[in-house]
Amino acid sequence: MADDDKDDQKEYRWETGYEKTWEAIKEDDDGMLDSAIADLIQKAKRKRQAEKTKQNRLGMMRHLFIVLDCSESMSVPDLKPTRLLCTLKLLEIFIEEFFDQNPISQLGIIALKAKRAEKITELTGTSRVHLKALEGLANVSLTSEPSLQNGLDLALKTLKVVPSHASREIVIIMGSLTTCDPVDINSTIEELQKERIRCSVISLSAEIHICRHLTQQTMGTFGAVLDDSHFRDQLLSQIDPPPAAKTQDNSLIRMGFPHSKNESDGKDAALSMCMCHIENSDEPSELSTTGHHCPQCNSKYCELPVECLCCGLTLVSAPHLARSYHHLFPVPNFEELPFESVPPEAPDFGSLRKCYSCIKVLNAVADKSVFKCGYCQQFFCIDCDIFIHETLHACVGCNTIPGVAGLVYQKQGGKAAPDFHQQQPSMMPSSSKQRSQQYSM
Amino acid sequence: MDAADAATSTETEASIDLLVVVLDTNPSQHVVRQNPQNLTQILEAVIAFGNAHLMQKAQNKLAVLSCSHHATDFLYPLPGRQVELRQVDGQYEVFSLVEKTVKQQLGSILMNAPRLSSPCESLLAGSMSMALCYISRLQRNIGAGVKMHSRILVITGSNECASQYMTYMNVFFTAQKLNIVIDTCALDKTLSLLQQGCDITNGQFLKVTQLDGLLQYLLWVFLPSPQMRHKMVLPPPPKVDYRASCFCHRELIDIGYVCSVCLSVFCKYSPICTTCHTIFKMPGPLPIRPKKKKKPEKM
Repeated sequence: MADDDKDDQKEYRWETGYEKTWEAIKEDDDGMLDSAIADLIQKAKRKRQAEKTKQNRLGMMRHLFIVLDCSESMSVPDLKPTRLLCTLKLLEIFIEEFFDQNPISQLGIIALKAKRAEKITELTGTSRVHLKALEGLANVSLTSEPSLQNGLDLALKTLKVVPSHASREIVIIMGSLTTCDPVDINSTIEELQKERIRCSVISLSAEIHICRHLTQQTMGTFGAVLDDSHFRDQLLSQIDPPPAAKTQDNSLIRMGFPHSKNESDGKDAALSMCMCHIENSDEPSELSTTGHHCPQCNSKYCELPVECLCCGLTLVSAPHLARSYHHLFPVPNFEELPFESVPPEAPDFGSLRKCYSCIKVLNAVADKSVFKCGYCQQFFCIDCDIFIHETLHACVGCNTIPGVAGLVYQKQGGKAAPDFHQQQPSMMPSSSKQRSQQYSM
Repeated sequence: MDAADAATSTETEASIDLLVVVLDTNPSQHVVRQNPQNLTQILEAVIAFGNAHLMQKAQNKLAVLSCSHHATDFLYPLPGRQVELRQVDGQYEVFSLVEKTVKQQLGSILMNAPRLSSPCESLLAGSMSMALCYISRLQRNIGAGVKMHSRILVITGSNECASQYMTYMNVFFTAQKLNIVIDTCALDKTLSLLQQGCDITNGQFLKVTQLDGLLQYLLWVFLPSPQMRHKMVLPPPPKVDYRASCFCHRELIDIGYVCSVCLSVFCKYSPICTTCHTIFKMPGPLPIRPKKKKKPEKM
């Protein structure tokens, strides 16, 4: 497929045999195809999960620019209704999810209009600004060619000044097959490589040599989309933080943890305005007693995380940091086992086989395979397996059974984690407690 | 009633309200150790409260989980098998089913529980994650066009288990993502982590001052669905402290330093991260450097 690396000596698509996609689909006993199709979908879901490799060091603080092609080619209706509208719809989902998963990151949007690059939104950490800007983009007139170089240059100019401990990325969504550049684009690519900015390209039409070259030089990923759901997958794969560049500087970042003022004085704080809306004429700042006060300069903000406008301190709350921890300590993949391996309950309880977490009664037809956690030895149905790994990020069994409780499994694999356990390599609950107490705030 | 109001009222008629009660049945809770009779009283209150929830609408659903010192189990509903049921005194069958199942199930759990040698913590976060799995299963299986509003009510008298901090946070954010409201009814102490969870998911936190009035508290504060609550006068939300405590001294801090690799929080600048052993780049130019440069000039 399009993602295959050029270097691996594969035969061309048209030289391979027929792909007999229909053979994978089998009718079930009632002659229905539903279960077979559901099977295929779930297999695909699990495959994605299995591909997630454990990373020791991630670029958790991300500064990402989305470079969006707004040229004539985006009006092609091969993605419904048009490439642009489909992209904008998916970007909405992407932006929501991006800030949900990367709470202390920033994002900006650049549009490539008629050979020029235009910054639609600056790098900020609030999704509202971007979603509003996306709405405006829906009515943009699509003319002429894009200029990849102008877009990259503009993003480069902004990302250059971002502190070096942050992960800097550009995601380009390209509809056009051509780019119209002022000078040699290779010089820009070299510059990006030097600055260690990771560039990824999603092409809506076909693989383009210069884009592939760009991603290879900057350690990014390249993908050409097949249809809208493939596009969605490609886009959402950019949500997980990338492995930190080896050369990325590590540093301690000064951050403020605001707390509401009332606690300190005992009585209600005076009415004040928040800094985030003070210059916003659409939604003027309202007088209120609540809000988050910067511990350094005392200016008030109504939402976190934010960078203080007065003193430049990054203001976060403890849960924001905690939300990112699951990237660092993912739940290990469960083992897939046949249905028969689940021990049935005692016969006076009906000899049922149940999913540990959702108490669904498993049956031999619908749940051909079950999933076992290697640490708590509990069995889960496929839906719970996916839910635990993709949404919950905590194994239900390990957290409800004392003894295995806590986060013992997080020491396996990975180089960063074992350090926590150097003294006590055994699976004692006490060691897990010590470790996780470090994380309690 | 105008059109919009009528639309919302038909919408609420058709929707399903799911209430999952996570009941802490750990015998080392302070309230239970004080007087073992209290557990019976709490259980009666929970059953009455659950039935009151079922009574509000025919579509409403209930689940009760017990979080004990050794395991988490479903008290109601039970998969597959049903307790033998007969109408008693003209009581609605579901009510007696709830009562019988919960009592029977809890009885067998307590009988089979291993003896408790020393007081231990309840793994509430794990029980809540189990509740989330159950809710997400029901959510997947409801028909098209039907809406389900789910909430979790935690009733506990024990302390929070600090070792489960990460699980708590994962649970809160999952609930927030799935629009599940987390309510907490604390019987003994104020629980700061669960307070944060209630705040994140727009739930209600209540610390009960008199255990005798538990049922009344439950019915007043937690029975109305979250959509209805803004119209009621409820206890004001407590001020939630979202400050982080540093990993080095465990003190709450206003301004701290965060490791860019593992996001550990420190109160002072240190050249090496004690959690992930990363060596940091010093901020700004090193103070020694200008001296060295100046010296040769002077000489």
